[in-house]
Amino acid sequence: MSLPAFHFGPPARRRPWQWLVPMLLVLLFLITLLWLPRQAQQMEATERQEQLIADTLWVEQTIRFQLERIEDSVRLMANDVAGGYLSGKRLHERMAVLARSNRELARLAWLDAEGRTIATSDDSAVSLKSLSAASRLASERARATHTPQYAQPAPPPGMERPILMDYHVPLFLGERYLGSLVVTYSLNSILEQMVPWWFAQEHEILLTDRDDHVLARRAAGGAGRGVYTHSRDLHLPYADITLRTNSVKSAPRLLPNLLVGSVIALSLGLIWSLGALWKDINRRIAAEGALREQVAFRTAMENSLVTGMRARDLQGRVTYVNPAFCRMVGMKQEELVGRLPPMPYWVPEAVDEHQHRFAQVLAGTISPRGFETIFQRADGTRIPVLVYESPLVDDSGRQTGWMGSILDISDRKRFEDLNRRQQEKLQASARLATMGEMASTLAHELNQPLAAISSYTTGAYNLLDTDAARNGQVNIDLLKGALEKANAQAQRAGHIIRSVHTFVKRRDPTREPVDLAQLIDSVIPLVELQSRQHFVVIQTEVETDLPQVLADPVMLEQVLLNLTRNAIEAMQDVAPERRVLRILAGRDPQTPANVSVSVIDQGHGVPSEVGERLFSPFFSTKAEGMGMGLNICRTAIEFHGGALGYADNPDGGTIFRFSLPALTTGMQPGAKAVAESAVFGGK
Amino acid sequence: MLHIVDDEEVIRDSLTWLAHSRAIPAAGYDSATAFLAALDGDRPFDPQGECLLLDMRMPDMSGAVLFDTLAARGLAQVLPVIFLTGHGDVPMAVDSLKRGAFDFFEKPFNDNKLMDRVQEALAASRQAGDQAAVQARVAALSAREREVLELILAGKMNKVIADELGISMRTVEVHRAHIFDKMNVKTAVELARLLK
Repeated sequence: MSLPAFHFGPPARRRPWQWLVPMLLVLLFLITLLWLPRQAQQMEATERQEQLIADTLWVEQTIRFQLERIEDSVRLMANDVAGGYLSGKRLHERMAVLARSNRELARLAWLDAEGRTIATSDDSAVSLKSLSAASRLASERARATHTPQYAQPAPPPGMERPILMDYHVPLFLGERYLGSLVVTYSLNSILEQMVPWWFAQEHEILLTDRDDHVLARRAAGGAGRGVYTHSRDLHLPYADITLRTNSVKSAPRLLPNLLVGSVIALSLGLIWSLGALWKDINRRIAAEGALREQVAFRTAMENSLVTGMRARDLQGRVTYVNPAFCRMVGMKQEELVGRLPPMPYWVPEAVDEHQHRFAQVLAGTISPRGFETIFQRADGTRIPVLVYESPLVDDSGRQTGWMGSILDISDRKRFEDLNRRQQEKLQASARLATMGEMASTLAHELNQPLAAISSYTTGAYNLLDTDAARNGQVNIDLLKGALEKANAQAQRAGHIIRSVHTFVKRRDPTREPVDLAQLIDSVIPLVELQSRQHFVVIQTEVETDLPQVLADPVMLEQVLLNLTRNAIEAMQDVAPERRVLRILAGRDPQTPANVSVSVIDQGHGVPSEVGERLFSPFFSTKAEGMGMGLNICRTAIEFHGGALGYADNPDGGTIFRFSLPALTTGMQPGAKAVAESAVFGGK
Repeated sequence: MLHIVDDEEVIRDSLTWLAHSRAIPAAGYDSATAFLAALDGDRPFDPQGECLLLDMRMPDMSGAVLFDTLAARGLAQVLPVIFLTGHGDVPMAVDSLKRGAFDFFEKPFNDNKLMDRVQEALAASRQAGDQAAVQARVAALSAREREVLELILAGKMNKVIADELGISMRTVEVHRAHIFDKMNVKTAVELARLLK
């Protein structure tokens, strides 16, 4: 697997300045966003103000223009009146026409010098006295200056409303004062008539005097907000009238507020999301660190594993191999990953077997207990391996392939081999040791008949060497008896040697029908070799009609010899009258199909702590013992399909008993053992 | 007489036969116990002029144990013991030899050499038997008689003896007569040879 190149040091330090730039940018952005609406607001306010001023000027111009037009008309009329061309009914009609066509005119009147009405536009009675003080003052001023004069607007005397403004045009015929034409404007009407409706809709329009007393007011669109205002003097001589406009519009607030609000909201959202991002990134960094550690740990683990790991996908393509596997087969990771069978490590001549097993793996029928096989390394050497295959299942429970663990069992094999060879060697040495022991016994035992023969023959020679013999007087019977005895001893020696020879003769294990009674009989002379040394009495009891067993007689003899030797040695420290070795052969009481042989001593017995290890190899209670005897015996009996065990003798001592399957009539006597014994089959 | 103690019947028989062939009377015993029983039996034999051929290895009581028993009874000197040993018993036999056994033969042995040695043992036993008798006679003497005997053996005249012991000549003569009588000798020369 190609792992990303991770640095396995501590995770990189977080650099705060990395965050400073975006944060500053965001801040700047926010400031700009907050500043822009404000700027826009100001610009709009200025624009509106300018618009207002322009409109106001325009309105003022309109008013002035209209007033001047009326002034002109009235002056013309005044000239006609003064010239006497216009009077009476025609004057009245002219006045009415003028008043009708100019609705801001409340009234037109001709007052004589005494202030009496001569003619009016509306036939109402008007006198100078009914005019306001300011008007009267203006009248006098007009008379005095011979120029038309505006009066300061004021309500008629004794009244609050309406505020009226009079325009006095003095009438002179030569130097004769003929009175004056009084044009009365209603200020409200001025505003009503002269200000366009659209302007009035958007502004509160006021006419004020110098003391800011409201003279007239038009507020079709509601009261002004006082945000955008402008005032303009109408510049009427002696009439201080200021035109004031006050926009009904408030400061531009709503839209910018929404904008700012949304900007702030968005900014907050941005900051929040930045914070969330920060947190998320921190979490990711932490997770990444943990992951890195995990990966490092796992990689280290994989690298230190001695078990080879190999993952394959469902098609059998190698998706991963660990270093141990690479080492095992001596190939590089790149050579293996992605390969499809046949694999380079398969043994060429066993490809079929590998294929078959591979098919089993894919089919999922391979044993989870693993199987042994051979892999071939890149250099051609072969290694025995133990392979375990198990399904590779991902998070969602879907099988994605197969994971195989591969154990190199060369060492184990080698050890097993070594062990087996050592076992063989040990058995050989055990046999040798037995023979060595026997040789010593044999020497002692052969000494007896040889000594006897020697004594008999020497005695016979002595008899023949006497004077009596030389004189022909020999007791023939005496000599005969001695020589017969010597002969008997020679036979005995021969028998001993023959039985040892049979035992020592080394050969492959066979299976032949063995009669246990005969077997015991043939072993007894050898047993006696030892028993005599230790003054042990041997008793044998063999059941009659005992079935034969299929066995290797030599191996059974060896087992019997081992058991009897142990029994004899176990009794060397007990009282001589208790030194009885019994060999019993009969049907196994527990398994009647078996034949059992018991070797019973009355020795020191087997302590329980010794019993546990009695059959273990290299365990011995004897100083010079190798600890192989009982181990070999058990192996040998088990080789014959039997069992060897021991029990305490109720009379003291120990009973060793082995049982063997009896040869049934159906079994073919003489059938050779097919299995070559690994244990006893020497090389 | 040769006493053969061996648990092996064949060995007893063959050795008895061999002894007979050399005109040595022999008797066999199958165990140490049997031999001791015979020794203390109804017809106790005089160990003088006897020899014991003893197998080292025997059940019950081994040859070595029997030898120790005999030594404890003071019979080791008068009853020479020849051990017959098997292979490996030599150290035990040597040990017995140090403690007074006459000899040991390791099996297999040269039969006639064994018999020669048996005859030597028998002779030694007889001589030891004589020695024992003399010693017994000396033991029968009184304390004063033994003092006188010492001086006689030193070759001193009666007068000198009387002076040395501070007794009268006459008393010395009486003692001398008693000594000769008890020792069953006639002359001082004979006495000296007996106590050599």
